[in-house]
Amino acid sequence: MKILILGAGAIGGYVGGRLQQSGSDVTFLVRPARQQAIARDGLVIKSTKGDIAQKVKTVTKGSEGGPYDIVLLTCKAYDLDSAIEAIAPAVGSDTTVVPLLNGMRHLDVLDAKFGKEKVVGGLARVGVAMSPEGTILHTSPFAAISFGERDGQAPRAALQELDAAIKKSIVDGGLHAKIVQDLWDKWIMLCSLAATNCLMRGSSGDILEADEGRAIVMETVDECQKVAAAAGHDPGDKGMQTIRGFLTVKGSKFTASMLHDLEKGAMVEADHIVGDMIARGRKAGVATPNLRIAYAHLQVYLTRRARAV
Amino acid sequence: MKILILGAGAVGGYWGARLTQTGADVTFLLREKRAELVKRNGLVVKSPKGDFTQKVKVVTKGSEGAPYDLIILACKAYDLPSAMDAIAPAVGANTTIVPILNGHAHFATLDARFGQEKIAGGLARISGMLGPNGEILHSGASGVSFGERDGKPARAALVELDAAGKKGGIDGGLNANINQDLWDKWIMLGAIASMCSAMRGTIGDMMASEDGETIMNEILDECCKVAAAEGFKISEKVVGNVRASLTAKGAKTVASILGDMEKGGAVEAHQIVGDMLGRARKHGIAAPNLRFAYAHLQTYEARRARDGLKK
Repeated sequence: MKILILGAGAIGGYVGGRLQQSGSDVTFLVRPARQQAIARDGLVIKSTKGDIAQKVKTVTKGSEGGPYDIVLLTCKAYDLDSAIEAIAPAVGSDTTVVPLLNGMRHLDVLDAKFGKEKVVGGLARVGVAMSPEGTILHTSPFAAISFGERDGQAPRAALQELDAAIKKSIVDGGLHAKIVQDLWDKWIMLCSLAATNCLMRGSSGDILEADEGRAIVMETVDECQKVAAAAGHDPGDKGMQTIRGFLTVKGSKFTASMLHDLEKGAMVEADHIVGDMIARGRKAGVATPNLRIAYAHLQVYLTRRARAV
Repeated sequence: MKILILGAGAVGGYWGARLTQTGADVTFLLREKRAELVKRNGLVVKSPKGDFTQKVKVVTKGSEGAPYDLIILACKAYDLPSAMDAIAPAVGANTTIVPILNGHAHFATLDARFGQEKIAGGLARISGMLGPNGEILHSGASGVSFGERDGKPARAALVELDAAGKKGGIDGGLNANINQDLWDKWIMLGAIASMCSAMRGTIGDMMASEDGETIMNEILDECCKVAAAEGFKISEKVVGNVRASLTAKGAKTVASILGDMEKGGAVEAHQIVGDMLGRARKHGIAAPNLRFAYAHLQTYEARRARDGLKK
């Protein structure tokens, strides 16, 4: 099975590097500068699970080295259009596209471009970043991806093979029978966390210090849950308990990566993570007042960022 | 009439320099360092109304030259306790204190410390800041407003302050309805400070977002409802002017609180926003946007206390 990974950034680089390490046939679709760096230094991963620097196959065009059985897509939502353009030549009639993006909206875009049958559900839970020199820094104890058929049917052969390859590697996770629910669960958590952290410009622990911080966080989680429920994907009591618990740890210094990006002046997935949740709420008649003000904050940030550039 | 001004920042410094120019007997109560500088260089004012340097009288203790007939107290709310300690020795039996602070919360504190009869109402609409060398960079507006809080005829000290200000080209002055004016200013400040801090941008940046204008209008309405419930209904003319300036597309206008936050400085979170929200609650007025803004400011304060907001 041939796997193409778009980019050799934090998540794609880590997962692809680990898959190759365990014997999978992996190719990275990268820009020329990244290709040169990898040719010189190899793909370098510094990780809580062991450092590696290894030679990997790279191409700079989706048309090279194909056809591929699996294309792993790990871009940021705001780069989706250019990512689709890059992988399009690599997608053949039997290719399965496995997007590992947060949120849901990318699935509609990918379906429209490649056809629903080629696009499965997937998500990554990898605490990883990239250094300015291009080293992949995996500092957290977890690194997992999950994927599966969105219609709940038995997984196609390519996904079963990918599952076997993941299980052979030191990356956790694999096939997930209810991947769409998993996507919603993660989105609810991420949207609540990003919306509140960014709106308040603080960690969850800082927000809890405000008189109404806890109430505002809880309301925000409720808004997301209602939107999910309207879409037929209520996480249920147990799922919600996990999400609420995670967001209300007193003294927590944990912040959404979106807040880091905001404070660095970087691009943020505002539309994808928060805006789309509001849009789905509006369509379903779910009021989302807390998300509305958080989204306004993010839009103001983006305006100001555009003004500063 | 002997006037003491605490501090020589943009507001007190500009006002006091203009009063001194007209021959009023003004003394500045300053910290040692600032006192040295002002004694040496005078008050250096750069203003669209003309630059000037004014020699002024300076003391470093409230007891020097005490008692004063009138004390102008222009400080930030979070500095009020130390400001009261500083002026206390300057306050005699017949002293009038004109506090120039935002909001309303300081009145209870000042009344309790010095007696209600000594505390007049006051506010300033002087825009400016201190330059790197301690010069006063005045940027345009130069209005003040003060008066008796009980609406009775103004005492002699306030009448004199009014006359001196008019001679010195200060706009405004004695106001028979100072409480209303305080509310007129507070609703504007409550809305703009809440939004600039919680949204971290200028008016123009906010107006460029989908719901920015709606949210700004809502929060202004929240503030106006509070004012009305407190007995100070804001006139349509005032609301209209405030609304127009707070929803002006492309405006670079920004509340000074945002500059303070971006420097990691202290903010008047309670005085400007928290107290407004508290009054909304008291009257059963829904104030969802003030609530977000106050939570934002409290989160900022928690984070500032935790990590000093190091970059």
